Amino acid sequence: MNSDICLILEGTYPYVSGGVSGWTHELIKEQPDKKFSLFCLVPPGSLKKLKHKYEVPPNVVEIVNVELQHLPLYKKSISKLERRRLMKRLHEPLMKLQTNASLEDLEHLLGLLKASGKKLGRETLTDSKEAFGLLCDMYEEALPTSSFLDYFWSWRALLGGLFSVLTCDYPQAACYHSLCTGYAGLFMARVSLETKRPTLLAEHGIYTNERRIEIGTAEWLDDQQSLNLNVDLRATRKSLRDFWIDSFIGYSRLAYQVAEWSITLYEGNKELQLDDGADPKYLKVIPNGIDFETYSKIPRKSEGRPTVGFIGRVVPIKDLKTLIRACGFLRESVPDVQVWIMGPTEEDAEYYEECLDLVQHGGLEEVVRFLGKVNIKEYLGQIDVLVLTSLSEAQPLVILEAGGVGVPSVATDVGSCSELIFGSPTEDPPIGPGGAICPLASPTAVAEALAKLLNDRKVYERCSRAIKERVDRYYRKELQHQAYREMYEQLIAQPKVDTLARMGARMPVED
Amino acid sequence: MAGIGFVLRRLSRQDNLLGLMQAYVYSALISTGPWMFTILSLGSITFLAGKFTSIDVLSEFRRVIIYNFAFSLVFSAPIFMVVTRYLADAIYAKDVKRTPGLLIGGTLLMFGTQLPPVLIFYFGYANINPALAFAATINFLLISEIWLISVFVTALKDYKTVTLAFGLGMGFSALSSAFLVETLGLIGLLTSFSLGLCIIIALLVARILAEYPYRFEKPFDFIQYFPRYWEVAAAGVTYNSASWVDKWIMWFAPEGDHSPTGLFLYPNYDSAMFLAYLSIVPSMAMFIMSVETSFFEAYLRFYRDIQNKAPLSQIRRNHKAILDSLIKSARNFLVIQGSVSVICILLASKIFLSMGINFMQISIFRFGVLGSFFQVLTLFVNIVLSYFDCRSAYLKLQGFFLVSNGVFTVLFLMGGFRFYGMGFFFASVATFVVSASYMMYYLLRLPYHTFVTTNASVNSD
Repeated sequence: MNSDICLILEGTYPYVSGGVSGWTHELIKEQPDKKFSLFCLVPPGSLKKLKHKYEVPPNVVEIVNVELQHLPLYKKSISKLERRRLMKRLHEPLMKLQTNASLEDLEHLLGLLKASGKKLGRETLTDSKEAFGLLCDMYEEALPTSSFLDYFWSWRALLGGLFSVLTCDYPQAACYHSLCTGYAGLFMARVSLETKRPTLLAEHGIYTNERRIEIGTAEWLDDQQSLNLNVDLRATRKSLRDFWIDSFIGYSRLAYQVAEWSITLYEGNKELQLDDGADPKYLKVIPNGIDFETYSKIPRKSEGRPTVGFIGRVVPIKDLKTLIRACGFLRESVPDVQVWIMGPTEEDAEYYEECLDLVQHGGLEEVVRFLGKVNIKEYLGQIDVLVLTSLSEAQPLVILEAGGVGVPSVATDVGSCSELIFGSPTEDPPIGPGGAICPLASPTAVAEALAKLLNDRKVYERCSRAIKERVDRYYRKELQHQAYREMYEQLIAQPKVDTLARMGARMPVED
Repeated sequence: MAGIGFVLRRLSRQDNLLGLMQAYVYSALISTGPWMFTILSLGSITFLAGKFTSIDVLSEFRRVIIYNFAFSLVFSAPIFMVVTRYLADAIYAKDVKRTPGLLIGGTLLMFGTQLPPVLIFYFGYANINPALAFAATINFLLISEIWLISVFVTALKDYKTVTLAFGLGMGFSALSSAFLVETLGLIGLLTSFSLGLCIIIALLVARILAEYPYRFEKPFDFIQYFPRYWEVAAAGVTYNSASWVDKWIMWFAPEGDHSPTGLFLYPNYDSAMFLAYLSIVPSMAMFIMSVETSFFEAYLRFYRDIQNKAPLSQIRRNHKAILDSLIKSARNFLVIQGSVSVICILLASKIFLSMGINFMQISIFRFGVLGSFFQVLTLFVNIVLSYFDCRSAYLKLQGFFLVSNGVFTVLFLMGGFRFYGMGFFFASVATFVVSASYMMYYLLRLPYHTFVTTNASVNSD
C-alpha cells in the first residue's frame, strides 16, 4: 500500500484553481497524518503543459497523471489477428456499457482488456483498422441513420475516455475517493473491482447534470435529424445526444453502485443523484463548513446608514441587474440605505459597464457603490444584510461566513441557499429562518425582503441570532473535516471485499 | 469541434473546389512539363542551329545543354517543390501579398545553393576551357530559374503568354545563334541559347509581377516550409533523379560518347528515350480532359457528404463510387495509351525512316515506349494518391522507382547492346505494379484512412 487515500480528480486539483480545487487542497492539509496519492485525469494534449496551481502538501506521496482519450502508443502490442478477435469480443460489453451499464459488464470488459497480458494503447484500441471496424459496427447497431462524422468524434471521445481510464496504471491505496462521477467515477468502479478496496464518492456539482447542459447546448451535435421539424420522427429515433448522456449516466450509476458512501454538499443534490440510479441508503450530506471561531469574533457596527452587502464576482450569473433594480424599490422604503457590491469587476467588463449604466439610469449613484475585490473579513462587520441574487449556486460559503458574523441573508432559491437560511428538513430542534428567500430575477421581492429585515428590528435580531446559531451548530469547518476523518478511518480499516459480492449484499434494497 | 483533417479543410470552401481540381492537374503538368520543355527545346535548337554550324559544335552544345537540363532539374527540385507548396497555400488562403518576395527569395536561394556545385563541376571536374565553363555555368543558372518560374506560371494559367514567351525566346536564340556562332563558335551558340532564356525569364517575371503587384516583403518566409514539407522536397529530387538515372548510367555504356571533356553521353540512347517519351503526350492531354469527370465528382461527394453529416451507409456507397470510377478511368486510359504505344512500336521503323533517325536506336526506342506507357500509368496512380494527400507513400514510391531504375539499368547494361532500354522498361513495370497495389490497398480502406490515419485532428490531439 503506497498511500492511505487515493484521490481521483478529473480536470481539477492541483492544475486548475477553483472551488473544488481549494476544497481538495484543504482536505489534504487537514488530514496531515494520512498519506495521500493523487490520480489526476487531464484533458488530451495537456500532459506536457501541466503546472501546479497549488503547493501540494507534504503528505501527498504520489501523483499519477492520465491523459483522457489520448492513449499511449505501444510499439509492441498484440497481433492483427488477436486485435480482430479482441474487437469482436469487446462489441457486446461496450454496447451494454453505453446503454445500461452494470458492474458485471465492466468486469467482463476489464477481463478482455487484460487477457492478452500485453499493454494496449491507441495503436490497438482507438487508431487501428480493427477499432475503426468496431466503431462502424457499434454505429450500425445503435444509430445507423445519424451523422457518421459526429458519431465518430463522439465515439472517440467517449470510448477513448473509457479506454484511457480502464487501461492506465494507478496508485495502490487503502481506499479511493473520487470527487465526481464521469470518467473519474468509471475509474473508481474499475479500481473497486480490481483492488477490492473500499471507495468513496463526494460530488460538489452533479456531473451528469452539468454534462446534460453542455451536451444539450452543443451545436455541433445538431444533425439533419434534430433539425427535422417532424417531431414524431425525431422522437422515435435515438440521437447522438442520447449516446453521450446515456454513457455518462451509465458511468455515474457504476460509481454510485461501488461507492461505500455517495456524498453531496446539500440535500437538494440528492434528488439528482437518485435520478441517476444512486441508492438512497448510501447517500450522505456533508456540507462545507467555515472557520466559525474567526468569523464569530468579527465586531459589528452599531450606527451609520443601513447597509446591504453583495459579495461575489460581477458577472451575469450573479444577476446583479436584478439587485440594482431592487435598490430602486428599496430606496422608497428605506430612504438612507446604501448597497455595497464587493467583488472583482474585470472578469466581464461589458457586463460591469451595463451595471454602471443601470445605476446611472436609476439615479442610484448615492445608493449603490462598487468596491471591487475586498478582504471580506474587514467588511462583514460593516453590513447589516447580505444579498445574493445568483441564477445558480451550489453551496455559497458567503451566506455562512456572513452568518458566522451574525449577518442574515436574502438569497434566491438556488442550490442550497434555502437549506442554509431556513435549515435542513432534518434540523432538530428547528432554529428558525436566518434571512429570506426570493424567487429568481424578482427585483420587487428582493427589495421587499431587504426592507423587512432593515425596518423591523425584532425580525432582524431573530434572523441574526438564528443564522449564527445554525452556522455554529452545523457548518463549522471542524465538523466537515471530522466527518471525512471518520469516514477515511473506517474505510482504511475495512478488509478487502469483492465488489460484486458487496453489491449482492445490497441487492434487496434495489428494485 | 475539430474538422476531419487536411483534405476536408481544403474542401470546405466550395468556391475553391475548381481551383483544387486544377491544382492536381497542374501537378501533372509540372511533373511532365520540364521534360517536354527539355525534349522540345533540344530538338528545335538542334534543328535550327544545325543550319548555321558544324555537327561537331552542335553535338558539343547538346552535351552541355543535356547536362544542364538534367542536373539543374534534380538540384533545384527541393526548392521549386517547396515553393510550389508555399504558393499553393498562399493562393488557397487568398493571401498572395508575399508572392513577389517569394520569387526573389526563391531565386536567391536557388542561385546560392546551385552555384558552388556547378562551379566545382565545370571549373574543377570538366575538362573544358574557362570561357566555355563560364558560359555553361550561366546557362545552368538560367535553366534552374526557368524551373522556378514555371511554378508561378502554372499558377497563373495564362498559357497564351507562356507560349508567346517561349516562342519569342527560342526564336531569338535561333536568330542570334546565326550571328554568334560565326564569331564565337560553341560559346556563341550557348550564349545565344542563354539570351533566349533571358528573354523568356524577363517576359514571365514581368507577367508574374503584373499579376501580383505587391511590395517585395519577407523573401525568405518560405524557408520555414522545408522542415514541414521535407518529404515534398525529397520526393522532388527523387522523382527527377529517377527519370534521369537510366540515362546517367547508360552514359557509361561502352557504346557511349566518352568525350575527353569528361561530360559523357550516349546520344543514341538519349534521343531514343526522348522520342519515346513523346508518346505519352496524347494520353496526358486526355487525362487532363477526363480528370474532371466521374472520379473527381465521386471524390468530392465522398468528402462533402462526410462533412454534411451523412450516415455510414451513404459514405460506403460513395466509397464504392470512387472505386468504380477509378476502374473505369483506368480502363479508358489503358486503352488509349495502350493503342498509342502499340502504334509507336509497330510503326517505329517507318517513323525512324521518315525522320532520318539512326536505326541503332530502334530497340531502345521500343523499350522506351513500353516503359513510358507504364510510367504514365504510374503518374496516373500518383495523381490519385496526391488527391488523398499520401505524402510519405509518394516519396517511398519515387524512391522505389529510383532504385529499381538504377539497379535494372546496371543489370541490363551488363547484358550488352541487345538489352539496352530494358532496365528502364522493367523498372517502370515494377514501379507501376507496386504503386497500383499500394493505391488499391489504400483506397479499399479509404474510410478508415480518412477518419483515422490522415485526419489531422486525430493525430494532433
